[in-house]
Amino acid sequence: MSDPLSLTLDPPLALTALATHCGDAADDATLAQAALAHMKSPKMKKFMGRQDLIAVLVAGRAVAAAGLDTARLARRAGLYLAVGSIPFELDDVKAIAAHSVREGAFSCEAFAREGIEQVNPLLTFRCLPNMPAFHVSLNLGMQGSYFVTHPGAGQAWLALSRAARDLAAGRIDSALVGAVADQSNHLVDFRMRHQFGATGGLPNTGAMLCLERAADAAARGAPVLAQLTALDIRYTPHDPLDLAAAQPVEALGAAAPWFALEAALAAEERAFEQQATCRDGITARATWRRA
Amino acid sequence: MNARRVAVTGIGVVSPLGSDLAAFRARLIAGESAAAPVSLFDASGFATRIAAQVRAEDFTAVPATARDRKIGFGLTAARNAVADAQAHGAPLARTLPRGAAMGIGLELFSMPDMLRYLAVPEVPAGEHPLGFLQTPSDLCLHLVSREHGLTLPPLLHVSACAASTDAIGMAFRMVRDGEAAWMLAGGTDSMINPMGLGGFCKIQAMTTRNHEPARASRPFDRERDGFLLGEGAGMLVLEEWEAARARGARIHAELLGYGASFDAFGISDPHPEGEGARLAMQRALADAGIEPGEVAHINAHGTSTRKNDTVETLAIHRLFGAHARRLTVNATKSMIGHLISASGAVELAAQILCGVAPDGAPGVAHPTINLDNPDPECDLDYVAQAARPLAGPVFLKNSFGFGGQNASLAVRLNWSSP
Repeated sequence: MSDPLSLTLDPPLALTALATHCGDAADDATLAQAALAHMKSPKMKKFMGRQDLIAVLVAGRAVAAAGLDTARLARRAGLYLAVGSIPFELDDVKAIAAHSVREGAFSCEAFAREGIEQVNPLLTFRCLPNMPAFHVSLNLGMQGSYFVTHPGAGQAWLALSRAARDLAAGRIDSALVGAVADQSNHLVDFRMRHQFGATGGLPNTGAMLCLERAADAAARGAPVLAQLTALDIRYTPHDPLDLAAAQPVEALGAAAPWFALEAALAAEERAFEQQATCRDGITARATWRRA
Repeated sequence: MNARRVAVTGIGVVSPLGSDLAAFRARLIAGESAAAPVSLFDASGFATRIAAQVRAEDFTAVPATARDRKIGFGLTAARNAVADAQAHGAPLARTLPRGAAMGIGLELFSMPDMLRYLAVPEVPAGEHPLGFLQTPSDLCLHLVSREHGLTLPPLLHVSACAASTDAIGMAFRMVRDGEAAWMLAGGTDSMINPMGLGGFCKIQAMTTRNHEPARASRPFDRERDGFLLGEGAGMLVLEEWEAARARGARIHAELLGYGASFDAFGISDPHPEGEGARLAMQRALADAGIEPGEVAHINAHGTSTRKNDTVETLAIHRLFGAHARRLTVNATKSMIGHLISASGAVELAAQILCGVAPDGAPGVAHPTINLDNPDPECDLDYVAQAARPLAGPVFLKNSFGFGGQNASLAVRLNWSSP
């Protein structure tokens, strides 16, 4: 038995932009260059991991496409972001490990005195799951509310749900709803295969939607790609340790729902329904119509 | 939409000062420190060798994921919160929409597991895949939902030190807005492990007062030198007020409002004028529909770091103006350390428990211990050294995350409770 988080949006919410990114490790230089165009200072790049760069890139593109100005973003915009598994870099981990062994076994003293000294303090900043949200807020000047969640598509749907609620209640005027996942990382790849049942290498992905109340979007003459009219998200409590019963992992990570939305928008149907069954027991249904 | 009131009817904690609520309250009011040399592993090589650890008898571990202490903490705190909510009156409704929201800490890896992984990148025979190397943060949330039959989609918050305050804030809104009849909300974390301690040492965020652990965490004191790492979990049962009264529940407190903000400033430093902190508190008051003058007390984020404590003080001055001088302020971290993602939930539980006497009479603000010589830039009334009666039932709970995510909750203690 499940209880729905359901919402009928009347008036509807306007989708005024959708930006996506999909690449692999070979695209890193291109990704960094593209993200720089949306950053206040290139100096911040040294603090940024792949998920941070993707978040800034898709957020910057979405905001530009929606025509949202800095004044609208500063106080009355919310960020709702699902972030994938933490991407510890294997080179860092190997350097730590190589200096943390005594007599063939892990030595905590060696780790403390030598192992951890092998990595730059910036490693900490590149690994925290709330950092993509920090970098988006910094570069877009956002001081509004947020929901930073983790790790997959189910929580990405919940991010949309919270944004829709906050918009409908008038708590914010604009919402950036997105997801990022660094999946070409060695450790993340291991987790995807052994914990989440992935069968092959997965891409690095990100997506960002701009949502506003339809009247607000119309008043400022914003482009409207579609209108969200209803949302229904359900959950079946389950044993997460029973991996045999789990749904397959979404190849596009937490951003999977927004790639599906992009494909539906490209199909040019007047109205469509998105349905998803996520690996964490969450099922979702969103109803969209063309403006 | 905002007509429904939200009651706190259940509290569960797993803390460095224990998990029994009465004992936890008594030790907080007495001003006990839980700090001690790290005993969970050999910390002799670290610059910081002290922490506030949870005792083994205070939680039940999950065998498949035993290396990740925060899972056992979270499950135990949730169990305790539900038991507390049902200690008076009829059981919680099991037919109405109900869910969980939790702030949960990082998926750090175990270094011994990492060495095995680097030698052979496979899950070793006999190990559960979710227990080897890294355990997913959301696992605890799903285990809590399953154990308590929580059928709404569960919300996971990873906004660092603000995470569990955000979880409680969002759960509060879900009950207030009619999405849920009741919610189990809070957070769990443990970073007292080699990677956690090493990471914080690396960025020089922690106290190195190893020679006197009990005096190491000293929020707002001139001699403070960083935070003391703690661990644990706090969970609250949030319930629609009239339903709680109808089933005869004991109501500890009423949640009034929630506010959140980004600093949008520095990766590790708070906004120098406390703008994000001020905005979070201001939004919590606006959400609650109350004026600054109605607030009697603030349970501060109060980390004992140089920057946080002065900036939080400044933010309070900026928001409250002359009323700031009439507020009392305290910092639970002076006794239990910084529980990172769980800090907000456990500190909120601490102030609610201390703020209402067992007979329902007005309670106290627990002390901020080790505040011997106030920093001249920290010039509020911090309830130094000894507990003090509260001047009113309304208080704010602040949590400010690394990375500039800030959350604040407005709370009214239920002094009319029998």
